[in-house]
Amino acid sequence: MWQSMSTETFLFETARWILFAVITFVMPILTIGVVRKTRARMQGRMGAPLLQALFDLRKLMQKSEAVSSTATWIFRSGAGIELANMLLLSTLVPWIANKPDGVSSDLFLIVYLFALSRLFAILAALDSGSPFGAFGSSRDATLAMLVEPASLLALVSLAVVAKSTEMNVIFSLTNVLLAHDPGLWFLAGTAIVMASLVELSRMPVDDPATHLELTMIHEAMLLESSGRNLALREFTRALKMTVLFGLSAQCYLRAWDDFWHFPVVAQVWLSIGGILGLALLVGLFESVSVKLQWRKVPEFISYCMTLSLLAAMVAVARGVVH
Amino acid sequence: MSFTPAEWSLIASATVAILMVGSLHVRVNLFGYCVLTVLISLATMFSAIDHHETSMFYLAGAIALLKGISIPLFLYWIIGKLKLGSDSGAVLSAPLAMHLNIGLTIMSYFLVSEFPVPLGELRTWVGAMAAISMVLTGIVLMLIRRLAISQIIGFLVLENGIYIFALTQTRGMPLIIEMGVVLDVLVGVMIAGLLMFRIQSSFEHIDVSKLTDLRD
Repeated sequence: MWQSMSTETFLFETARWILFAVITFVMPILTIGVVRKTRARMQGRMGAPLLQALFDLRKLMQKSEAVSSTATWIFRSGAGIELANMLLLSTLVPWIANKPDGVSSDLFLIVYLFALSRLFAILAALDSGSPFGAFGSSRDATLAMLVEPASLLALVSLAVVAKSTEMNVIFSLTNVLLAHDPGLWFLAGTAIVMASLVELSRMPVDDPATHLELTMIHEAMLLESSGRNLALREFTRALKMTVLFGLSAQCYLRAWDDFWHFPVVAQVWLSIGGILGLALLVGLFESVSVKLQWRKVPEFISYCMTLSLLAAMVAVARGVVH
Repeated sequence: MSFTPAEWSLIASATVAILMVGSLHVRVNLFGYCVLTVLISLATMFSAIDHHETSMFYLAGAIALLKGISIPLFLYWIIGKLKLGSDSGAVLSAPLAMHLNIGLTIMSYFLVSEFPVPLGELRTWVGAMAAISMVLTGIVLMLIRRLAISQIIGFLVLENGIYIFALTQTRGMPLIIEMGVVLDVLVGVMIAGLLMFRIQSSFEHIDVSKLTDLRD
């Protein structure tokens, strides 16, 4: 691939990758910042500066680490594996318009790479030997099991219409098969937003701001991490949030594309704006909603499933019409 | 697939109806009914623009005011008076009923594709599908709920479905007939509301599943 490239193309591709890498490292911090700022403003506080997550990361990187005496290499390497996996995912998932075309981006590969990072999070939490880690991971696994069919179905219904399971093809701007389906894109985008709220253990499912033993899900798995380990995990989570919000923002942008066609140059700004806009909406939603009772969570997920089923229905109906 | 604005609003209203089935909170259901009816009134307005019918504009306004705002407000008042919170549900759990409803929508899609289309008529399968789906949603809502007020909401959704069918399959009915139907519904809901007060004062609940156990 590299041999056949002229110097200009090579330089252009390199510049694209560098720009992409910069965005990948800056966006998670901004996204977290926007969510926290919105929540603070809704509560009548000034809130921490937008880049507070970056300062927190720097602080955590300098702190020393306490590791449980029962922990093995699994706990030590868990955070690194998760981050590596998430960085790989960020080059595969089409979450931003200027993502360079990488290797294969099969949607099943992507869904199960997300599951792989969860597996390592659960293993690390169990390995630390803390009882909180154990119940946190059991809840996390339950939620993952409930939400997986919904997110998979939403992506598959897009894939059926696009006649390809490659995410790069489905989300490509030049794809004519999906060009006039705002309804399908909207349903899939909303299903992915709701699924990602569950996946990231955010508000209606779990309150990331509380550390009450009885209710926490994701935080329970992080309790034993400290110092650099915690910094890596926090960044991984922020990156996951950005990638998932980016994916749904792309869905909404494609839905809007049918009514008003944007120039290609604007797409990067629109993607960034879409992610930050979704973060703002999530912040607003988190300030007005309450954390659901654990027994009520499946009802919330059932709405996500309903949207995915409707998307599947649209996809099937299209197959019948054509 | 490209739809007209009227078709988009009808699809959105049928979707809202399906989402209503998933919640057992009476207030949430009433809000859903309000949104759904306003969407139907929008659809009426868009088809008035399409067909150049001035009388349908008045009809759209009447639907939004009477069915979309007055009825929900009246029912809100009743909920406040009777101190109702959420329905306990019967037969099927709410999420399952919602998923069943999507199955019913697919069924109505295949049902509608069998309809004969008169020559020279517009393509109206979207409206017919939304209508039949909404009628079925209303029936499901009435079947899986216990409280009398949920039965009223289910009936109202069903009635909206019938209205959509009339709207999309004909070139507009005479204004006077539509107005009569809207007023009939308003009066019907008022009478049903008063009846609920009577049931509440006689039996101290409005759970319809327990009304069959009556002994004198």
